[in-house]
Amino acid sequence: MMMTLIRREILDNLMTFRFAAAVFIMLLLVVANTAVLIQDYERRLAGHNTAVKMHQRQLHEKKTYSAGMEKLLVDRPPNPLSILNAGFDKRLGNEVLASHGYVPSLWDANMHGSDNPFMDMFASMNIVFILEVVLSLLALIFAYDAFAGEYENGTLRLVLTHPIGRGYILFAKYIGAMLCLIVPLLISLLLAVILLMMSTSISLSTDDFLRIGGIIFASIAYLSVFYLIGLLISAATRRTSTALMLSMFVWGFLVLVYPNVILAMITRPDAWQAHTASTFNKIEQIWEEFDRERKHLLATDDFPGEDWGFELRGWGSRYAYLWGNPRSLLYTYESVMEFHGFGEKDEHKMPHAQNHFRFLGSEVISTADRTWLIRKPALENIYIQPANVKRTWLKLSPVGLYDATTQALAGTDLRGIRDFFDTARQYRQQVVDYLYDKEAFGSRQWFSSDKEAADWSGLSQFSFQRVNAITNAKRALPDVSLLLTINIALFILIFLIFVKSEV
Amino acid sequence: MIWHIAKRELYDNLNSLRFALATMLLLGLMLTNAITHLREHPERVQKYRDAVAKHQSLLTSHAENSLYELAQQGPGRLYKQPSPLRFCAEGGETFLSDHAEGGYHRWSTDTLKSFWILVYPSVTPNVDNVHPEVTKVDWSFIIGYVLSLIALLFTFDSISSERERGTLRLTLANSIPRHTVLIGKFLGALISINIPFILAVLVNLLVISTSSNVHLGTEAWERLGIIFIIAILYMCLFLVLGLLVSARVQRSAVSLVILLLVWVTFVVFMPGTLASIAGGSASSGPTRGFYEYSWQVHNELSAQYRSRRRNASENSTQKVQSAGEYVIKDAEQQERLHEERLKQRIDQVNRARIITRLSPVTIAQHLLESFAATGFERHLQFLENVQSYARQFRVFIADSDKADPESLHILGVRAGMSEKPVSPEAVPKFEDALNLSKDFNIAATELMLLMLFVVVLMSGAYLAFVRAEV
Repeated sequence: MMMTLIRREILDNLMTFRFAAAVFIMLLLVVANTAVLIQDYERRLAGHNTAVKMHQRQLHEKKTYSAGMEKLLVDRPPNPLSILNAGFDKRLGNEVLASHGYVPSLWDANMHGSDNPFMDMFASMNIVFILEVVLSLLALIFAYDAFAGEYENGTLRLVLTHPIGRGYILFAKYIGAMLCLIVPLLISLLLAVILLMMSTSISLSTDDFLRIGGIIFASIAYLSVFYLIGLLISAATRRTSTALMLSMFVWGFLVLVYPNVILAMITRPDAWQAHTASTFNKIEQIWEEFDRERKHLLATDDFPGEDWGFELRGWGSRYAYLWGNPRSLLYTYESVMEFHGFGEKDEHKMPHAQNHFRFLGSEVISTADRTWLIRKPALENIYIQPANVKRTWLKLSPVGLYDATTQALAGTDLRGIRDFFDTARQYRQQVVDYLYDKEAFGSRQWFSSDKEAADWSGLSQFSFQRVNAITNAKRALPDVSLLLTINIALFILIFLIFVKSEV
Repeated sequence: MIWHIAKRELYDNLNSLRFALATMLLLGLMLTNAITHLREHPERVQKYRDAVAKHQSLLTSHAENSLYELAQQGPGRLYKQPSPLRFCAEGGETFLSDHAEGGYHRWSTDTLKSFWILVYPSVTPNVDNVHPEVTKVDWSFIIGYVLSLIALLFTFDSISSERERGTLRLTLANSIPRHTVLIGKFLGALISINIPFILAVLVNLLVISTSSNVHLGTEAWERLGIIFIIAILYMCLFLVLGLLVSARVQRSAVSLVILLLVWVTFVVFMPGTLASIAGGSASSGPTRGFYEYSWQVHNELSAQYRSRRRNASENSTQKVQSAGEYVIKDAEQQERLHEERLKQRIDQVNRARIITRLSPVTIAQHLLESFAATGFERHLQFLENVQSYARQFRVFIADSDKADPESLHILGVRAGMSEKPVSPEAVPKFEDALNLSKDFNIAATELMLLMLFVVVLMSGAYLAFVRAEV
C-alpha cells in the first residue's frame, strides 16, 4: 500500500508542468552560471599566479635583507569550491606581508593590485545562492496543493477509506514529492561538477568531492525544510488559493526580507570605538617605549651622533618610520636601507651599524610578538564578535542556516579564510628563524650589498593547504544538525495537524 | 465600463489575503528603511562635516605659511557630499570611496620636494567585509524586488482564474470590447497595489521628515516625486507581464509557476550573472604592480634630471628652472598614470553596467540611484568636480605667484616661488554640487528603455488576450 501511495505521488508530480519547468530552470541557471563562474575562477587563479611570481621576483631583486622585508608578500590562492559558495573568498584580502616587523592578520591584508575595486558593487553570484532561491520556491510550489488540493477534490477522503494510517499517507506524500524535487537538484549539481572537472585549471581532490557530497546533502535538507513548510501551510489552510498566497509571502519573507531586515536592525555596541582607541593607545605605548630604547642606545653607544643610519653616505636609499593604523590596531617600526656601495670613510662605521641592527632586529621581533598578544583578542572582540552575532541572527531563517553550512563545507567561511592567516603567521615565524639562522640582522647584507647580496635561496616558499574535509564537516556539523532538527520538528507538527484534522 | 471592471477588480483584491499580507510586508520594510536612515544619516553628515572642517583648517595653515607650501602640499582630501536621499538607493556606496586625495606625496630629497598630485583611493572594505553580505533595505530593494513580486502575485490569476470559473465568458457575453476588459483589469490591479504602496511610502516619509535630524529640501522632494513615478512605471511592467501570461495560460497555477520562474531569472539572477560575464572581459592583471611601474617612470625622469644637472654648467636661475621643470613634470606624469588607471576601472564598470541593463531591476535601480544622487554615476560626477577643482586650484597658484613681483615665477621649487602667505579666503573652496537636470540627462536612456519594456509587454498582453479562446 505504501509503495502504491508513493508511486501515485511521484506520477502525480512528474507529469506536471511545474516539474518540467523546475528541471528546465534549474539546469539553465546552474549550468550557465557554472560556466561563468569557472571563467571567473580561472581569472582569479591567473591573477594569483602572476601575483605569486611577481612577489617572488620582487623579493629576489632585493639585495639587502632589510629591503626584502618590504616585499615578503604571501598570497592566498582562490578556493575552487568558491564556485559553489563564494562566501568570503572574494571579499577579503588575498595578500599579506609576512615580514618580521609585525604579526600578519586578516586586517592587514590587501587585494591584488590587478583587481578592480569598483566591481565589488555588483551582486556576486554562486551556485548555492541559486539553489537557495530556486529550490525553496520549487519546494513551495510542489507543496502548496499537496493537502489543500486533495481536500478540495475530495480524493483525500477516498484514500482514507483504505485501512491505512494517516502517518503513512503523510510519509508517502513527503517521500514522493522529495524524490521528484531531488531530480532537478541532482541533475543540475552533477552537471556543474562535470563542468568543474572538465575545466583544465581546476583539479578536484578526494577531499573536494567529499565536500561537494556534503553540500549536496545540505541542499537536500534545505529543500526538505521548505517542502515541509509548504506542507504545513497546505495542511493548515485547506484551500489551494490561500495556501498558495501564504506560501509565496512566507517565501518572500524568509528569503528576501528577513535576512536584510534583521541585519539592518542590529546595531553595533557603542563601546567599540573607545575600546579600539584604548587598545591602540596601549600598543602605541609599547612601540614608543621601544623607540625610546632605540634612541637611547643610539645616544649612548660609542659611535658619535644619533643618526639611525650611522651617517653612512653611500649609493642607495634609506628610510625609517614608526607608523600605525588605528583602525586595524597595527603598529610597527620599519627601517629599510639599501646601499650598494660606500665611500672609504664609511668603512669604520660598519661594525657599529651591524651591532645596532642586530639589536634592533631582535627587539622589533619581540615587540611585534608582544603587541600581537594584546592586538589579537582586541581584534577578535571588536570585529569578529559583532559579525558572529549577525551570523547567528541570520541562522534563524533556513536560508541563513543553509548558507552557513555550505560555506563551512566549501571552506569559504570566515574560519576558512582565517586558516590562511594562521599559515601566514607560521610562515612569518619561519622567516624570523631563517633570518636568525643566517644571522641576517647583524650582517652587512642587512643594509648593504656592496660585498655580498642578501641570500634568499634558502627561504622556503610559502604554500597554503586548506584544512581537510573532516575538519570542514566538523565545522558544518552544528548547522547541519540544526537544519535536520527543523525538519523533524516540522514533520511532527504537520503530522499532528493532519491527524487531528477532519476530512 | 472600464471603471466598472476596475472597481470590481479592486473590491475583489481589497478583501483578499494577499492585500493584507502585501500591506504588512511593505509597511514593515518601509519602516525599517526609515528607522535605519534616521540612525545612520546624521552620523554620516556629521562625519562629512568634521572631515571638511579638518581639511579646511589644514588648507588654511598651509596658505598662511607661504604660497610655496600651499602649492606643494595641495588642497588635501576632497570629500564627497552625502546625499540626503540615500534611503532611496544605497547604490553600492560602501564600495565607493567617499573622498579623493588631493595631496599625495611620494618623495623628498635634501633640496626638492615632490608636488601634490590627485589620486583616487579605493575603499578597502576588509574591516566591514567580515560581516555577512547584505542588501541594504532601501527603496530600490523594496521596489525592485518586493514590489515586483507583489505585482506578479496580484495579476497572475486575474484572467486565468476567471476563465477557470467561467465568469470571463459571462463578462464577454456582454457587448464589451476585449481591450476594455484588459485595461479595466490592469487599472484595478494598479490601484489595489498602489494603496498599500502609497501608504507605506507616506509612513516612511512621515517618519523621516518629522525627525529634526534629517532635513529634506525642495529639490529632495522633487526628486522623491520622480522616484515615485519611476516606481509606478516599474510596477506597471510587472503588472502587464502578469496579465500577459495570465491571458495565455489556461490555469492560474501554471501561470504563477511561469511568472515566478521568469521573475527569479530576470530579477534575482540576471544582474549577478551578467556582471560576472562583463567582469570577465578584464585582463588577468598586469605582470607587475602599478606602483612598481609608476616608481620606474619616476626613476627614469629623475635619472634624466640628475645627468642634466651634472653635465650642464648652468647659472643659479637656470638650475632653479630645471629643478622646477623636473618637479612639475614628475607630478604631471604621476597624476596621468593614476588617471589612466582610474579610467580603465571606470570603463570596465561602465561595460558591466550596460550589459546588466538587460534586467529590468537593474534599470530601475540605476534610475533610482541617479535621482537619489548616489551610486556610480554620482561618483563619476564627484570625480569630475574634483578634477575641475584641481585645475582651478593650479590656476589660482600660478596667478597668485604672478601677482608677487619678488618671485621668480618658477613653479615647483621653493627658491623659484613666492614665499608670501596667501589669504585663506582667496583660496578656491571645493564644492561638491548636485545637479538635477544633469541627472535627468543621464537617466533619460534608462527611462526610455523601461518605457519600451512596458509598451512592448502591454501590446503583447493585448494581442494575447484578443486572440485567446475563452
